[in-house]
Amino acid sequence: MNTLLVTSTNDGIGKTAITLALARRAQQAGYDVGYMKPKGTRLQSAVGKTRDEDPMLARELLDLDAEMHEMEPIVYSPTFIQEAIRGREDPDELRERVVDSFEDLAEDKDLMIVEGSGDLSTGSIVDLDDVDIAEALDARMLLVTGYDSVATTDAVLGSAQTADDRLEGVVFNGVADAKMDELNDDVIPFLDGRDVPVFGALPTVPELSGVTVEELARSLGCNVLTPDIDLDKHVERFTVGAMGGSSALDQFRRTRDAVMITGGDRSEVQTAALESAGIKALLLTGGFRPASAVLGRAQEEGVPILLVQSDTRTTIDRVEDVLHAGRTRTGDTVDRMGELLAEGVDVERLLSVDL
Amino acid sequence: MGRLSTLFSPDRVAVVGATDSDGAVGRAITENLQASFTGDIVAVNPYKESVLGLPCHDTVADVEADIDVAVIVVPPDVAVDSIREAGEAGIENVVVITAGFGETGTEGAAREKDLRETAAEYDLNLVGPNSLGIMSTPTGLNATFGNEMATSGGISFMSQSGAFVTAVLDWAAERDVGFKDIVSLGNKAILDERDFIDEWGADPDTDVILGYLEDIEDGAGFVQTAREVTQETPIVLVKSGRTDAGASAAASHTGAMAGSEAAYEAGLEQSGAIRVETVQELFDYAQILADQPLPEGKEVAIVTNAGGPGVMTTDAVGDSGLDLADLTDDTVERLAETMPDEANIYNPVDIIGDAPAARFQAALETVMADDNVAMAVVVACPTAVLSFEELAEVVVDCQQEYDIPVATTLMGGQSVGPAASTLTESGIPNYFDPARAVDSLDALARYDDIQSREYTDPETFDVDRERARSILSSAADRNQNRLGVEAMDLLDAYGIPTPEGEVVDSPSEAQSVAESIGDEVVMKIVSPDILHKSDIGGVEVGVSPEDVWDTYEDLVVRARNYQQDATILGVQVQEMLDVDAGTETILGVNRDPQFGPLVLFGLGGIFVEVLEDTTLRVAPVSEPDARSMLDDIESAPLLRGARGRDPVDEDALVETIQRLSQLVTDFPAIVELDINPLVATNDGVAAIDLRLTLDQEEL
Repeated sequence: MNTLLVTSTNDGIGKTAITLALARRAQQAGYDVGYMKPKGTRLQSAVGKTRDEDPMLARELLDLDAEMHEMEPIVYSPTFIQEAIRGREDPDELRERVVDSFEDLAEDKDLMIVEGSGDLSTGSIVDLDDVDIAEALDARMLLVTGYDSVATTDAVLGSAQTADDRLEGVVFNGVADAKMDELNDDVIPFLDGRDVPVFGALPTVPELSGVTVEELARSLGCNVLTPDIDLDKHVERFTVGAMGGSSALDQFRRTRDAVMITGGDRSEVQTAALESAGIKALLLTGGFRPASAVLGRAQEEGVPILLVQSDTRTTIDRVEDVLHAGRTRTGDTVDRMGELLAEGVDVERLLSVDL
Repeated sequence: MGRLSTLFSPDRVAVVGATDSDGAVGRAITENLQASFTGDIVAVNPYKESVLGLPCHDTVADVEADIDVAVIVVPPDVAVDSIREAGEAGIENVVVITAGFGETGTEGAAREKDLRETAAEYDLNLVGPNSLGIMSTPTGLNATFGNEMATSGGISFMSQSGAFVTAVLDWAAERDVGFKDIVSLGNKAILDERDFIDEWGADPDTDVILGYLEDIEDGAGFVQTAREVTQETPIVLVKSGRTDAGASAAASHTGAMAGSEAAYEAGLEQSGAIRVETVQELFDYAQILADQPLPEGKEVAIVTNAGGPGVMTTDAVGDSGLDLADLTDDTVERLAETMPDEANIYNPVDIIGDAPAARFQAALETVMADDNVAMAVVVACPTAVLSFEELAEVVVDCQQEYDIPVATTLMGGQSVGPAASTLTESGIPNYFDPARAVDSLDALARYDDIQSREYTDPETFDVDRERARSILSSAADRNQNRLGVEAMDLLDAYGIPTPEGEVVDSPSEAQSVAESIGDEVVMKIVSPDILHKSDIGGVEVGVSPEDVWDTYEDLVVRARNYQQDATILGVQVQEMLDVDAGTETILGVNRDPQFGPLVLFGLGGIFVEVLEDTTLRVAPVSEPDARSMLDDIESAPLLRGARGRDPVDEDALVETIQRLSQLVTDFPAIVELDINPLVATNDGVAAIDLRLTLDQEEL
């Protein structure tokens, strides 16, 4: 069986998009491809049962009819972790469950793509971290990692050594343009020299980083006050309007792809944000509607205004969570990731298939 | 007269949406027009046969005669259609009273966009929307829904608040303040403050232009137009939203960011408009500017019968931009001859409490004939021997005879009434408070200064614009919106001197750059994520060649410790200048939403950080503008060699200010830029450090 497990050094660096894009690519080449995420970590309450969002998206995008409980045999919930630590989960039984599910899913498939969970260490408490799973399923491994600075090299090399000979190679994802040269010129040749093959480095692109304003609005349960303005812009960071108009303008101009959070009554801060090219949306707190004239100006500028009932402090925490965890996971992002992989990675070699 | 002349003096006005329904705005406007307008009035309303005795037309197209102004009072959802019909009918001027546009939210904003596009399509002079209307006294035109018509006079007045217009009219009626034209600007979709100052500047019947503004749409354009207009006609403005709370209130009202207070201060000063803070000042200044001649100097003579108020007036002169006149020996001698022994015959001239009007007359005639006296203030308290009415006549006669500006302070209540009327009728302002009299005279002197200003076009230096563009574009390509010393070549391309140096990304390169400089160097971390390099130990001064390698390492480690994932572009290795031999200045730019680039100059260090001793100009900055920036700062003496320093090369500073102004004018993508410090020595300047923010979308 040709099985590839996609793992990562950290959570939230595009593992899902890469996994699904790889699966899709093989599917488009005519292969029968299966998907599995043994440990469900991105949990959300569906009807009656807590499930990971990623297998649900995989099922939809890859048009699979597999049962959810097989695609995600372990629900890695806080309760599960607690029970495991108290010794109430049997690692052998869990491993067996994973292998059984895998075998069912893999039947008649040409290729199985398995998505890891969290980071490389997730699952250690039940002897089922991603390397253990790769062993159990006899899978090759792809390590996905971000790149902040040369110091990242330690973590990549360490992870690669953990994966040992199961490691097929590394893909750097979401690399800032300013750091691309350093990575290509210094870090990748170094890793090659240490027998860690690198398949490629993917640049950061706005559609793949951050969340759309629409997702942000949905996650926070916002009231959208500008119904005619598209919510498809991406935001990667937030900035808080807590100062006077002129200093606010200076601050807002220095940021990019940001949502500006302030109170509904801060008209001067709101209008300063509408003047700043880097502010893609206004998120107003406390349930205070802005002045009508400000809404009018937002309409003119094409910048959406969202309203939440929570206070600024709480809103900031929630936005932080959404931005951190909630990279866009939609068919479009997977398509875009597919394009990036096609440009920057030898997918054929990575998947060991003819495309 | 300008292109708006038919707006203010139309032969025929159509009221689109005329009605006779009680309490309707369409009725109020029709009635106001009927009350005083000397031209024809046409009613348009497809649902009525006639309105208030006027036959109704279905549309303006059905009217056979030419219409000069269409006043639109229809509901918002059909307003744009009515404007289009007016355009189709060839009507040039449209006043949109209808509200429900950008001021009401998203739907209204979309409607306002339609309105703007339609007005542009037909090249309409459009007032509003959301306007109270317009007035013009020569033709009795009252196309407003206010409850009062202005009396005629020489003041033309624009207001961004309709309510303020009605309040002012009511107030003015009581005080005999007369107007030429009045416009309520509304949302300023097409015509804004700049159009009206331009129009009134060309109007021989407008003596003074007044404005109440909450924002200025195109600050730089306003400055340009106002400079021309104020050569002939004074402009006095209230620009509200000065405080943070006020700015917020204004933003709620207009939906526009008011722009920084500093920008308005600089921009209005450069424009030649006189800015006032209170409504009282607005009309005090308007009246004196409309009625009194301009002074030929700043010297004020005070003539009073009251010691205390005389002293208060003298203090007010001290606080103002005026000077106390130094009376000539002849004048003093004549006063000595004609005044009682107890009188003070030096300025302030105190002719003591028993002075009748005749003594005032003698004193005034003597003082006002003095060549050292440019203006006079008459301060009088009521006494049994003084008739205010007689005094008023004396003052009027003297003012007419000597033709210099005079203001009076008849300090009293009821007893002042008839005398004040006599004075006002002759254009002499009278106030209870001597400070107001002095302020008003000061406004005259300020306007005289403004009128004698000479504006110079900014110089265009020979620069390498393409090189600058490529530096900015390559930053934008790297998706970098904040640049630092790695962009020093940008300054070089515009002829702003920078020390020798290079940005390198390895210790070995640092070493070789240092060797080629061949002396001690300055090393700085280069990272867009680190704004205050010296705060985190990111700058080392006086590094000897053998320490360059270690210093490189240290700087990178400190930067990493400060911010783990900071983007580090490298280290700048720079020729070491003897900073102590020079004076650290700061030169910067911040782009204001209304005024565009504002150039800031000040002395560096505590002068800018603690004392905020800086000065601003709206770009483009001309040579005299740049030179005046050096004079403006409080610490200017330090540039000129105070306390044993070497005076700096002022010409080099002045040229650098202009070159920076040219850079930011050429590249609107630069939204802020700081050269801090710009070191000035006695033979030139050097930009030591740089940071700037780009708006990539503008590139």
